[in-house]
Amino acid sequence: MKRTHLLSAGLLSLFSTFALSATFTFTAIPDADESNLRTRFEKVADYLSEQLDVEVKYIPVKSYSAAITAFRNNQVQLAWFGGLSGVQARGLVPGSEAIAQGFEDQYFKSYLIANHSVDIKSFDDFPVLNNYTFTFGSKGSTSGRLMPQFFIEKNLGKPVEQIFKRIGFSGDHSRTISQVEAGVYQVGAVNYKVWDTAVEKGQVDTSKVKVIWESPTYPDYQWTVHSGVDNDFGAGFKEKLTQVLIGMTDKDLLASFPRSSFIPAKNSDYQPIERVAKTIGMID
Amino acid sequence: MPRTMTFAGFSFVGHWQKITLLLLLMVSVCWFFADTEVIALEPWIELGRMGQGFIHPNFFATEYLFEALWQTISFALLGITLGLLLGFPLALCYQHPLIAAICAFIRAIHEIFWALIFLQIFGLSAITGILAIALPYAATFARIFSDILQQAPRHTLFSLPKGTDKLSAFIYGRWMHMYPQIVDYIRYRFECALRSSAVLGFIGMPTLGFYLESAFRQGHYEQGGALLILFVLLIGSIRFWAKPIFLWLYLPLAIYFLPPIPAIDGQIIWRFLSVDILPPMLQGQPFLSWFDIDILSKVFDWAYKLITQQVFPGMIATLVLAFCALGLTYLLTLILLPFNTRLMMPKVIILIMRAVNLILRSLPEYLLAFVLMMLLGPSMLPAIIALALHNSGLMVFLMARQADSVTVPLTYQPRIDQYSYLVIPNLYPHFMGLLFYRFEVIIRETAILGMIGVMTLGFYVDSNFSEIRFSGALLLLVFTAGLNVIVDYLARRLLH
Repeated sequence: MKRTHLLSAGLLSLFSTFALSATFTFTAIPDADESNLRTRFEKVADYLSEQLDVEVKYIPVKSYSAAITAFRNNQVQLAWFGGLSGVQARGLVPGSEAIAQGFEDQYFKSYLIANHSVDIKSFDDFPVLNNYTFTFGSKGSTSGRLMPQFFIEKNLGKPVEQIFKRIGFSGDHSRTISQVEAGVYQVGAVNYKVWDTAVEKGQVDTSKVKVIWESPTYPDYQWTVHSGVDNDFGAGFKEKLTQVLIGMTDKDLLASFPRSSFIPAKNSDYQPIERVAKTIGMID
Repeated sequence: MPRTMTFAGFSFVGHWQKITLLLLLMVSVCWFFADTEVIALEPWIELGRMGQGFIHPNFFATEYLFEALWQTISFALLGITLGLLLGFPLALCYQHPLIAAICAFIRAIHEIFWALIFLQIFGLSAITGILAIALPYAATFARIFSDILQQAPRHTLFSLPKGTDKLSAFIYGRWMHMYPQIVDYIRYRFECALRSSAVLGFIGMPTLGFYLESAFRQGHYEQGGALLILFVLLIGSIRFWAKPIFLWLYLPLAIYFLPPIPAIDGQIIWRFLSVDILPPMLQGQPFLSWFDIDILSKVFDWAYKLITQQVFPGMIATLVLAFCALGLTYLLTLILLPFNTRLMMPKVIILIMRAVNLILRSLPEYLLAFVLMMLLGPSMLPAIIALALHNSGLMVFLMARQADSVTVPLTYQPRIDQYSYLVIPNLYPHFMGLLFYRFEVIIRETAILGMIGVMTLGFYVDSNFSEIRFSGALLLLVFTAGLNVIVDYLARRLLH
C-alpha cells in the first residue's frame, strides 16, 4: 500500500516539473515587515505576469542564503537580494546581472543605536565602542552586519571580536531594535529605513534607545536576474523585465519591498560591497 | 539492579548513587565554566508586548493558515512513514556494528541541518522537508526497535514447532510480543515528528514554523501567540484526530496535497557532491592535483583554522551547555514528577500538570530561549533553562505513566514514604536511562539554539551555511556527529 503511494508521489512530481518549466519564478524578502509574504508578493507576480505575458510565480523564502540557493539552482530566475546576497549569488551564477535597484538603495545607510544606560563618547566622529556588548542583525545582512562591521573595524582599527565584550546576531532589524531597547545588548547595528519607520510608527521608545552614529552611504538591495532568461522566455526578455520593474508605479506593490520606486542598476554598482565583503573575510 | 560490592572505601554507595554523583559532579564543573551572567535589563516593555499578544491572539493574521497546519501534519506523516520503511529493515540488522555506527551518525545531525543540506540538492521542495525528518527518524527507529525486539521473551520462540521458517519465527516469536510497545513508540514519535515538521518551517518549509518564527522574530506577537496556541492544541489533541484508522485517509491526502515538487536535477546533486563539499582550494581542480604539496598544505591550513577557531570552541560550548541543561533537567524532573503522580496528588492537580507538561514539551526550545533572553540577557542561561524546561516536560510526561503503574502494597501507608521508598527506586534505572538518552537529544538540540546566537557548534554550522561555505559546514557537521556518537557510546557503557 505504502509503496504505491510513494510511486504515485514520484509520478506526480514528474508532472509538476512539466508544469513548472514554463513559469518564470522569483523570490523576495523585504528588509522590514515579513508578514503575509505570499499575499503581498503574489500581487507583484500578477503584475509581472500581466506585463510580461508569461506565467509568473512567487516562492517565499526565509533567509538570504535560501534565496541564493534557489537562485543558484535555477528554482528562481529573478530575486530581490540584499547588497551582499546579490554579490554572493552573482558570484555563483556566471552571467547573472543586477538589473534594477530601489531608489533608496543608491544611498543606503546603517545606524548604530545604543541603550540609554550607556554613555558612549565619540572620538574623531566615531563612537568609542570598546568593551560594550553588541548585536548585529542577521548574519548575511548588508545593512545589519556587513557594512557596520566594516565601518567599525575601519574606524577602531581592530577586528570586532577584539572590540566588543560580547557579540550577538539578533537575526532581524526589528529584533535588534527591541533587544537594544531592552538592554539585552548595549549597542546594535540597524538598517536606517527599518529604524526610521519604527520611530515614525511609535514602535520604539526613543527615551530608551537612540541613534549614536550614522554610516556613510552604500548601495544595497537590487533585482538580480539569471543569465539564461532570454533563451527560456524569448529574446529581449531581460530588457523587457528591466523596463517592467522600473515601470512599477503602484504604491501598493512598491510598499511590499518597501521602496518608493525602482531605477536601473548594473553589476559594477555593487563592486564596493564586494570589496568590503572581501576585506572583512565574508567572501573569499 | 547491579550492585558493585567492593571491600575498599565506598561499598555503601550504590551503583545508581555513583552514577548520580558522577553526573552532578560533571554538571557542577560545567556550570562553573558556563557563561551564566544575568545582565540587568529593562525587558518589561517587550515582555508587555508579548503578554498582550497572548491575551489578544489574532488567529486571522496568518495567511494560508490551514495550508500551514495541514502541511505540518503532512510532512510529519510522510516523514514518519518513510522513516518506518527505512527503519524496520535497519532494525533487523542493527547488531552489525557498521549499521549501528552509520545510524548513530545519521541520528546525530539535527533535522534542521539535514534540511539545510537537502536544500542545496533538492531546493525548496517537499522532498527536502520529508527526507530531513525521515532520515534521522529511520536511524532512531532502527535503534529503538532493535532494543525493543531484544527484550522479547524467549519462551514462544522455544515453543514453536521444529522447522518453523525464520520469518514466521520472527513474527510470532518476537514481533507479536513487542507489537504494543512498538506501536506506542511510533505514536510518541509522531508527536516528535509534528514538532520537527513545525521547526523545519524556520528554514523555509511551508509549515507552521515558517510563520511562527517570522512572527516572533519581528515582534508580531498577536500572530505569534495565536500560532503557538494552535500548535499546542494540535499536539495536545493528537489522540483525537490521529487514530490509526484515519491514517489510511491522511496518507494519500498528504501525498496528493503536497506542494509542487520541482524537478530533481542530477547536475545539481553532482555539483554538490563534486564541488560544493570540497574545501575551496580543491574546487575546480583536477583530482590528481589535489595531492600537490602546496594544495595539500592549503587544505591543511583551511582545516586547521576551522578546527581551532570553530570546531573546538563550538564543541566546548556545546558540551558545557548540554551538561548544564542535563543537570537542570534532572533536578526539574525529580521536582515535577511527584506533582504528576496519582499517588501523591489529587486529580485536579494532575490535570493541571498535564496541561503544563503539554505546553512545556510542545514549545520549541528556540522560542523559550528567545523569550528568556529578553529577561536574562544573551548569556548561555536562557538556552540552558529553555532546554531544561522542554526536556523535563517530556521526561515527566514519559515517567508519570510508569510511576502510576507501580503497584503499592498496602503495608506502606504514608504517601511520601511510598513515593520515596517504592516508586522512585523502582523508576530510577529507567529514569537514568531516559536521561542519558535525552542527553544525546540535548546535544543535538543545542544546534537550534546556535541559530539564536549561543556559540555552540550549531552557531558555526549556521554561519557557514549563511556564508555559502558548504565545505566548512559539512566539516563542522562531521565533528558534531562524531561528538554525538562518542557521547552515545559512553552513555551506554556507563549504564550497562
